[in-house]
Amino acid sequence: MIRQANAIDFWRGFALVSIFINHIPGIYFERLTHRNLSISDSAELFVFLAGWSLGLLVSSRKAELTAAGLVARLGGRAMTIYAAQILISSIALALLAAAAFAFDNPLILEWHNAAAAFQDPALAHIGLVLLTHQLGYFDILPLYVVLMLAAPLIALIDKFAKPALLPISLLLYFCALVVPFTAPTWPVTGQWFFNPFTWQAIFVLGFALSRDEGIGAVVRRNMRLVQIVALPIVLVTAVLVWFNWFPDPTRLPEPKLLFLNGKSFLTPMRLIQFLALAAVFSGSYAHFAPWVPWLADFLSSLGRNSLNVFCVASLLSLCGQIARYLYTGSLLADTIIVIGGIGLLRLTAWVSEWRDRRTTSA
Amino acid sequence: MPLIAGVRAGVRAGVLAGLLAGALCQGAWAQDKPDTPPVPPPAVAKDCGEPNVTVTPLPNSALALQKRQQVKILAIGASSAAMLGMGHDGNPPLLEEILERNIKGLDVEIINRSYSGELAEAAGERLKIEVALNHPDLVLWQVGTNDAFAQVPVENFEQSVTNTVRWLKDHDVDVILVGLHYIKQLSKDEHYQAIRASLQRITAAESVLRITRYEAMEVLARTMRENGRPEPRDFGLTEAGYNCMAQYVARAIAVGLFAKPPRPHAAPSPTR
Repeated sequence: MIRQANAIDFWRGFALVSIFINHIPGIYFERLTHRNLSISDSAELFVFLAGWSLGLLVSSRKAELTAAGLVARLGGRAMTIYAAQILISSIALALLAAAAFAFDNPLILEWHNAAAAFQDPALAHIGLVLLTHQLGYFDILPLYVVLMLAAPLIALIDKFAKPALLPISLLLYFCALVVPFTAPTWPVTGQWFFNPFTWQAIFVLGFALSRDEGIGAVVRRNMRLVQIVALPIVLVTAVLVWFNWFPDPTRLPEPKLLFLNGKSFLTPMRLIQFLALAAVFSGSYAHFAPWVPWLADFLSSLGRNSLNVFCVASLLSLCGQIARYLYTGSLLADTIIVIGGIGLLRLTAWVSEWRDRRTTSA
Repeated sequence: MPLIAGVRAGVRAGVLAGLLAGALCQGAWAQDKPDTPPVPPPAVAKDCGEPNVTVTPLPNSALALQKRQQVKILAIGASSAAMLGMGHDGNPPLLEEILERNIKGLDVEIINRSYSGELAEAAGERLKIEVALNHPDLVLWQVGTNDAFAQVPVENFEQSVTNTVRWLKDHDVDVILVGLHYIKQLSKDEHYQAIRASLQRITAAESVLRITRYEAMEVLARTMRENGRPEPRDFGLTEAGYNCMAQYVARAIAVGLFAKPPRPHAAPSPTR
């Protein structure tokens, strides 16, 4: 039974479409995504909603899932995401190689951190399997894998020591910012684009806020007040982003990561702005969905099949980059890429649900 | 694997031995003080062609060498391999090895923050954060290729790179721009060439060092053609090609570390 369109799936679909567009650098429609007026972008939304979905899953199965069952179920989900990451990375490498060969342009082999896979394949492939070598724009699923591997622990802390969950998460978050530390890459020395030690905070916040108890209940009870506080934050930061009015990072006090705007470390500025944005738009779905039911259905269908759609979106973004290079990035080409790409994302969702229906009926 | 590792170790040792021998033959490159008159910098392997490295001082890096015997290099841009050389089996990047072997007592710290696919504007913003966090003396920025492929308008590209270069200068950080790659198929690509020309304009206007990756590879390709040797299709995109780039960069840094800063313009004589 396919679930009805709902706010969570809708916003997840929205994040997926934004990620697809934003991952084609230079495309005209990039300037229409919400990151042009927001410090945070669709990556924060995607990870927050992943945590939210975990919270709903744990809540709905509270009675029936034992601790062992929870670990098995969430661990299985992590393995599925890991397999998806390996698959799309392999396809991406093949796409780059095919494009380099077909268009007689070996420079394409250097795109997206792929050079190591072609020049140092033995170690790079070990890195790909260990998730320590990530292709550019294919770096959010490794974070998701780590978060899902941590999910059983999160669920168990929630089950047996609920009040400790958020403090532990925030402690880790601030330690990673203050020390600072992150996950390294290998064999090419560097850092993960998404620092898992800081990004876990938004995942755990999504988890905690989805619940009808604890901080989730407190926020729901005081939503009007939260929105009154959040709205000025959203408006002021929109102005800051629009005019690029950010302080010189070298002049900020130490520890600088507490004060600057950095995506890799999900700095507090981004986290707070995202939470404010989420609060302002919280409940808005119920108001506009009746007016645009087709849009609600469309984006919800993408959100319901988020992993499959995300994988296809990542590969389509890469195809879009190659197409833009070939067709010199005209507005017409950009429009075809975006409309064609979103159409294919919808097809992916439809095929996923068709397959699920057939499996269920069989 | 042992065979591959052996071959790699041989290539690496060969490159380093060649460079070291070249430097020694040319007259003991190693210097104790950065203000010592410049002597020939590390040689570049013959197969790499002749890079056209202009003498552009790197005053902040020279000061770091003088004060701490250490130069902190932040690598940012599309392909770290194309700037630093391929680092294998836990070895530091070739660039670090060349510099440390050729400049006595120098400790090179390379901070690699290359994220592929980033355009100049986004990289410029991230670069500011990395400078604030890591306090480098020198930034190696490979820039242009992604913008050329993503069809970024030339004026936007030029503005972004110029602003970032000026910001770095204002913050006492030297910068070396690593230019676009030579690919014969792109020699007639208008946008690619326009971005390349734009980078040339920026380096001339801002007096910053640019590694002329394109020109060096182009000259070498022509030489190979003239000598009847087949021109490789994936020119420079091999491990040897990346290591050539690391040698160019090492040479440029070495030249810049010991170059005398330009004389300030003499004040006009007072007239009566």
